[in-house]
Amino acid sequence: MLEGITRTGTFEWEVPIGYVPGMRVPGRFYLSEFLAKTLETGAVQQLANVATMPGIKNNSLAMPDIHWGYGFPIGGVAAFDLTEGVISPGGVGFDINCGVRLFTTPLMPQDVTGRRDIIDALYNTVPVGVGAKSSLKASAQALDGMMTKGARWAVEAGYGIEKDLARCEENGFMKSPDIKAVSSKARQRGIPQGGTLGSGNHFLELQIVREVYDKNAASAFGISENQVCCMIHCGSRGLGHQVCTDHIRLLEAATRKYQIRLPDRQLACAPVTSPEGKAYFGAMAASANYAWANRQLITHAARQVFQKTFGIAYEEMQLVYDVAHNVAKMEEHIISGRKDTVCVHRKGATRSFGPHSPDLPGELADTGQPVIIPGSMGTSSFILKGTEIAMDKTFGSTCHGAGRVMSRSQAKKRISGREIAVNLARQGIIVRAPNETAISDEAPEVYKPSAEVVNVVHEVGLSSLVARLEPVGVIKG
Amino acid sequence: MSFEEIPHTADIKIRARAPTLASLFSEILKALMQVMYGESRGKTLKKEISLTGEDTESLLLDFLSEILYISEVEAIVFADARIIIKNNALHAVLQGEPFDIRKHSGGTEVKGISYSGLLISSDANGYMAEIVFDV
Repeated sequence: MLEGITRTGTFEWEVPIGYVPGMRVPGRFYLSEFLAKTLETGAVQQLANVATMPGIKNNSLAMPDIHWGYGFPIGGVAAFDLTEGVISPGGVGFDINCGVRLFTTPLMPQDVTGRRDIIDALYNTVPVGVGAKSSLKASAQALDGMMTKGARWAVEAGYGIEKDLARCEENGFMKSPDIKAVSSKARQRGIPQGGTLGSGNHFLELQIVREVYDKNAASAFGISENQVCCMIHCGSRGLGHQVCTDHIRLLEAATRKYQIRLPDRQLACAPVTSPEGKAYFGAMAASANYAWANRQLITHAARQVFQKTFGIAYEEMQLVYDVAHNVAKMEEHIISGRKDTVCVHRKGATRSFGPHSPDLPGELADTGQPVIIPGSMGTSSFILKGTEIAMDKTFGSTCHGAGRVMSRSQAKKRISGREIAVNLARQGIIVRAPNETAISDEAPEVYKPSAEVVNVVHEVGLSSLVARLEPVGVIKG
Repeated sequence: MSFEEIPHTADIKIRARAPTLASLFSEILKALMQVMYGESRGKTLKKEISLTGEDTESLLLDFLSEILYISEVEAIVFADARIIIKNNALHAVLQGEPFDIRKHSGGTEVKGISYSGLLISSDANGYMAEIVFDV
């Protein structure tokens, strides 16, 4: 049990004001007793640090996949007042709009089981790993298009269908990007990487819907048992990384200018409405749009592989949804009984908007937003739906994944990439990666069990279980 | 001079030691390259950079962030650096080789260099730093 923390419910814990000096509001996180055993003091400290930032509303929050990051903890959520509050790249992270999407196929398990050729074809089509370059050869104008119109740019350029856009958070692009606030360095990094997956925890998986818990919601989402689906997890690549790096340095100066006192330099911030704050928000929105375009390009490449291999039609592969999990947004929420627009930061957390929320297409209005929670390599992924409770408790947010419990150096010592690949093959899961380290770094054992994390958000009501998917093929970046 | 990886759940934390501040910077550069590209190192290319920072910490972050940028955009894997640091100004002569996917795909992409957990200290034995790379 961590010292100084109060348990306020079965899955609810409070970090009281005073845990670190200067806290303006309490911290609050959601965790089962089992998951609490692996909670690091560093993560709680980071949650408390966020509570010291000016204009924070209600609580500094963390989801059950909370762990030690930089700036905000991973799994961190905080909303800031537009007049007195701040915006910080430390609440978004280097990989702006790292996110995940899922599309369905008309295929059945027997069509794909043991088919290494399909995994090979996907691996050879989608550039993955360090130094991988896109075949897109984007022009400067195309880059502007990606940053301005995100997934819409990709659809208009022929990399998708109109229907895909309604199934993306923000309809696939934030409406107020400022591409002038994106440095030439960031642009240079963005041009050759459109349509690349990256490395680390990024992946493309072939999955099968193994269990449906909520038939009505599943049917609204277009999901049914035994369906073969494809999940894509990646972000804004070097462009987003550079935007974060550039703006942290700019906001460090702003932090001094506006005399904001912070316990961690990585939380460098500026008032939301200041020129510096607006510049970061605009550059971040442009990077988020680039990430949506990127996931759309990868989706197109994967759809083409399925089309060619199985002779199925492009339109038979429907996007279920696309969620961002590293982003800051201006959103309307009810705070102390009053509607208010706030700047919500989600750092390793997923939006979980309930039924009839704005931004949901008509066919999903009664159900709520689809929430996609990827599992670690070789384990279950889950589809959930957004809830009213999330709107009340967490500014419409839920967890984003399993959350690590073991460092990469420990993982490497414990088990080799080759052994993991052999073990997964025994379970019928084919893995392809540029090197063995990419596999051992992301071994299932280094993460909290995804089912346990998802169970907490389901029990608390931050999102509600709809379906469980199991992988049959994994491409690691 | 040395560097080692120390346990960090989400990211990569490095502890480096060196007799001087300049050699400490060069040690952390080597650690960064090892994380990204594995062991292989050649010295067929030379590149010079100059930077200024507000303090030692920001100078180190700017230096490593510049390395990430150059390495990605110019496709260079760096092996070593001769560095001069004076009054928060840095001049580095970098040595490396062109990125080759067959030789250098043994690592993982570093997304950014974090201020969180950054520590630079010195005593009679020299300099020590701890730094977190977001991967």
